[in-house]
Amino acid sequence: MSFVEFQGVSKSFGDTIAVEKLNIAIEKGEFFSLLGPSGCGKSTTLRMLAGFLPPSTGRISVHGRDITRLPPEARGIGIVFQNYAIFPHMNVFDNIAFGLVERGEQKTEIARKVDAALEQVGLSGYGGRFERELSGGQKQRVALARVLVIEPEILLLDEPLSALDKKMREEMKFWIKDIQNSIGITTIYVTHDQSEALTMSDRIAVMSNGRLLQVGSPREIYEQPSSRFIAEFIGESNLLDVRVTSVNGVSCEVDLGGSLTVPARCSKQVKLSPDERVSLLLRPEMLRLAPMDAQEAPRLKGRIADSVYQGALRRYRVIAGEHDFVVEVPNRPELAQLSSGDQVDVFWSTESGVVVP
Amino acid sequence: MERKIPLPLLVLAVLGFAYMLLPILIVVLAGLTSGEFLTFPPEGLSLRWVIAFLQSEKYLSAFFFSFRLALMTMVVSTILGTAAALFLSRSRFVGRGAMRAFFLSPVVLPGVVVGFALYAFYISAGMGISRTIWGLWIGHILYSTPYVIGTVGAALATYDVSLEEAARSLGASPWRAFRKVTLPNIAQGIQAGSIFAFIVSFGQFEVSLFLSAPNSEPLPIAMYNSLRYKFDPSAAAAGIFAITLVTASVLLTNRLVNIRRLLDRQ
Repeated sequence: MSFVEFQGVSKSFGDTIAVEKLNIAIEKGEFFSLLGPSGCGKSTTLRMLAGFLPPSTGRISVHGRDITRLPPEARGIGIVFQNYAIFPHMNVFDNIAFGLVERGEQKTEIARKVDAALEQVGLSGYGGRFERELSGGQKQRVALARVLVIEPEILLLDEPLSALDKKMREEMKFWIKDIQNSIGITTIYVTHDQSEALTMSDRIAVMSNGRLLQVGSPREIYEQPSSRFIAEFIGESNLLDVRVTSVNGVSCEVDLGGSLTVPARCSKQVKLSPDERVSLLLRPEMLRLAPMDAQEAPRLKGRIADSVYQGALRRYRVIAGEHDFVVEVPNRPELAQLSSGDQVDVFWSTESGVVVP
Repeated sequence: MERKIPLPLLVLAVLGFAYMLLPILIVVLAGLTSGEFLTFPPEGLSLRWVIAFLQSEKYLSAFFFSFRLALMTMVVSTILGTAAALFLSRSRFVGRGAMRAFFLSPVVLPGVVVGFALYAFYISAGMGISRTIWGLWIGHILYSTPYVIGTVGAALATYDVSLEEAARSLGASPWRAFRKVTLPNIAQGIQAGSIFAFIVSFGQFEVSLFLSAPNSEPLPIAMYNSLRYKFDPSAAAAGIFAITLVTASVLLTNRLVNIRRLLDRQ
């Protein structure tokens, strides 16, 4: 049995279904992300776990204990809100002490724990400050300290980085991950930002329209998305309309049109049958434009339609017959710089082409 | 930073203030007259009528009656108004807008109608409170509560509910989360609302006209009754005290509550 389990959990508001028949199993100590566009039901899922929303149907359990009907204060789950929700009428010390006071701990013990928590988040000496005197990053540290000090079994993070600027976001990403690693707390992270989910998570659950689409490691999600939606939502993608010609376990052949048939990988979970119309996913960084010796590599003749310099990379748009590709090539001096109108061959190694239903 | 106000706007503002404040000034000056009658301009200045007011059994008892009634009204209106505002901001149901409008309706209905309706209701229901302080109290509560709903509603509109949720998940019961987190954060709205309720009750006329008894009448009614028979400057002197009390409570509120901040939030 997994540590946190959602069993057939649904939530509807009137006629709108926010979450539908959700089944998720999260292991102890895992960093688990709920990823999806806004309105996909990820926040509703988090709020049901925190106890702010009762599910319409289904069961949520932690450690095998049914918590579906428990009030938030009885769940032992800590949550960091998008806007941090620092109590504005209390200073940082009292904010962090709040949960300990509610638990009726001794004054001296509270002072010791709050100081330790402040030190843990690198804010020693900030106890007397108020919310309005803190920067965005500091607020987040206070919000995290306030939650961690009560030693919850589960940590919920609701888009905690979205209110920060880009530089701070990068910094906090690694900082949060470090803290999580050092205390080993089961963490559920809600985000719409695929790069946050990819860099921080042990596993990611992709949601859309209230449904769970795929659960897997960042690598599985990125490299073997189970649907076109996920392929497009996570990272950049070239999706080619193709037809399956033959299937053999995890390898298959697809017809690209123009009498070109190429081998590709397909996922075990997806049952394919010959003649099925599917998409071939080719990530922009998997594509090559310079000639290569390997003759078996799929190759398409094309023309550069557009070329954009992006510092570390150069992005090309290549039109090859009926297909349209985005290709990213590292800016290395030995690679030729191409410009619009140049004739090129587009090719890729067969294992980087993935069939997506 | 000093901001330049355009001249036409300044003139308009001065005229507007003059329009609003001149009558008050006239009452104050008239109350300080040394003559026999309520006239303007006053025939010389003296504290004669102010002293007369302070020695008048009728006015003093009316003043304290109003003060007591306003305090009683303030207490109940604050509690009811805060509860109503909380309910309106927290619940989601069809007809919530209609309910809000209904709660606020006493302010927009003609006071004469409300006063008469209450009077007729007390009589026909045989409640025996038609000309007592209790009947008046109910009428004033009806009139003052919308102001509390308004100010507390404004405070709640910007209050972030996730603060209360944070408190809950940190281990606070619903009541403790409300008392320790929500209440301190909407306290300014509640304070402002309660002072409004006090002022509105203290100055209430139309409802009081129908519901007060001759022996226990609020100050506005006492002033009206005395002016009906005699153009007595002590009524103006009573006005001075009423104005002072209201001004003092506004200043006090301003000290306690940053009204501007509360209005900015809307």
